Amino acid sequence: MIKFWKKRIKLGTLTEDLEFDTQLNEIQKEIKDHVHKKFAGSLAIRMVDSGSCNACEAECNALSNPYYDLERLGIYFVASPRHADVMLLSGIMTFNMTPHVLEAYKQIPEPKWVITLGDCPAMQAPFDKNFAIKSPAEEHLPVAHHIAGCPPDPKEIIKGILSFLRKI
Amino acid sequence: MRLIARYAKDRGNDFEIVTIYEHEVHKEAVPKADPAIKTLAKEHPSAIWFERKMSDDFGIIIKDAFDKRPLVHQERFPHTVYPMLKDFKEDVLEFAEYIPYKYEAIRGDGIFQVSVGPIHAGIIEPGHFHFSQAGEGILHQEVRHFYKYRGIEKMLEGKTLFDAKLIIERISGNESIAYQIAWRDILFSACGNELPLSLRKRHAFLLELERIIHHVTDLGFIPNDAGFGAALAYASKLSEEARRKMKELTGHRFGFGAIDLENIFYDTASLHEWLAELEENIIFFEDWIIDIPSLWDRFDTTGILKTEKAVKYDTVGVVARASGIMLDRRAEPFYLEHGFEMVTEINGDVGARYKVRMNEVKNSIKIMQHLLVDNTAEVELNKVKDGEYMSFVESSIGELFMAIDIKDGRINRFFVRDPSFMNWQALHLMMPNNIIADFPLINKSCDLSYAGNDL
Repeated sequence: MIKFWKKRIKLGTLTEDLEFDTQLNEIQKEIKDHVHKKFAGSLAIRMVDSGSCNACEAECNALSNPYYDLERLGIYFVASPRHADVMLLSGIMTFNMTPHVLEAYKQIPEPKWVITLGDCPAMQAPFDKNFAIKSPAEEHLPVAHHIAGCPPDPKEIIKGILSFLRKI
Repeated sequence: MRLIARYAKDRGNDFEIVTIYEHEVHKEAVPKADPAIKTLAKEHPSAIWFERKMSDDFGIIIKDAFDKRPLVHQERFPHTVYPMLKDFKEDVLEFAEYIPYKYEAIRGDGIFQVSVGPIHAGIIEPGHFHFSQAGEGILHQEVRHFYKYRGIEKMLEGKTLFDAKLIIERISGNESIAYQIAWRDILFSACGNELPLSLRKRHAFLLELERIIHHVTDLGFIPNDAGFGAALAYASKLSEEARRKMKELTGHRFGFGAIDLENIFYDTASLHEWLAELEENIIFFEDWIIDIPSLWDRFDTTGILKTEKAVKYDTVGVVARASGIMLDRRAEPFYLEHGFEMVTEINGDVGARYKVRMNEVKNSIKIMQHLLVDNTAEVELNKVKDGEYMSFVESSIGELFMAIDIKDGRINRFFVRDPSFMNWQALHLMMPNNIIADFPLINKSCDLSYAGNDL
């Protein structure tokens, strides 16, 4: 363990790319203010995957790596829809998942918002509409904001959450 | 004889049932008027999902099966609809009457059921796990999936190979390169072209990079599920760096669209440098994590899959290798010449799967170093010829099998068997004698794909 802490101290905070980091810092400051004003300090997100390829989930997981560290902005992914302000919906809404997505939405206390993540829920990914697909999500849920990309990278997700916060 | 896949084709008046074994292919014609086949599940338990899928997709009856419940078609799916039949052309299906699914459950005094999913607590894909519990101890678990069923097999019918690629590379995000390579092999055999060595090397390089990203992510998440978060912080830093490298090389963080026929220049000197640094970081990580007793206390003897069971259930990939099975599609001359070494463990527990991943990352770095050479080749593809083609690739999860039939230049039947499809069926074997709190750990140690499984 001592070896680890030695390395940790030597490494310091990860600032690999200066230009990127200043950009990120600006976004982060803005997000922090918005979250503080509108959500009393913490924005709770319930991520629901309704039929993605798992790339969007991987990018959301990447948001907690040391390069992005979303939680320092007061934005959390929570385990239950009952703890959430926002449902982040990824993937094409499949026939089999649609009832469960609607149930999860019902469980989120008011006020609540839906953000769609990636091209799939809006049916903009290369998948064709067929019998097993109930997308686009707008037909089933009041979508407040859409973050485009296949998948959107972590920076785009942070930017997307920021423009959502500006909107409401 | 290892079972690889079993699937059906609609040929107009009859169904063709294709069964792929390790060294053999069996084909059987079944008249549509009496579409009944015999189950293989007695010798190969993992045949049951293939057969249940067939009966959902085509209405084929599995005569002597012990399990005839629907698999892909869930509670509200219209039960008389068989979407893989050629004459099924609907684009929209309405929800039908709710018919409850009968879970496998052990009943008795004090035994209770725990349902988990389809939506889970973390940022992961949807799927359902049904436990029969005696206190903390797991008696039995049923895995129930296909929530993400997107109808991809049907969606690809009628498309050209090139149009289909955009969808194929998005079937499973973590294995995109592997899916693309399976597609590429089919494309080259359909065109009758030989794959230039330089192209093969570049693609193999990207496949190993994808494996590193996936394995390193798991090397962080598995300890995290045992309450050791520092490992996740360290490993997720490494996987982010590898993902950025993927973006730099292919223009996409997951390598969507990466497998093409272009000659792309790689700066080999800087890549060698990057690989050396990665290797150093991995060795440091291993040295650190192997020495944490409280973590290995959770890993060792947890979620054991015995070798006999791993063989019986025809498991593949990391799960099979951690249970002592020498099975890797890379065990062939091309990879052996470029530094491939088979990694196996014998214990079959979480710790064994962890060590397999760790050693595979190190081996992948070695392979990548051997694959880095500057040379280019031109390739002019011939016309795509009709026929039945298949390919195998070792993805980061295990052996991926893809089969495409081409008729009049277009896909007539698309079938893919993700490695997860086999391994999900063996997951319940790891549960008895473990407590339910260890389930996330065991599940993560296999890290199977839901999207690739459900299609």
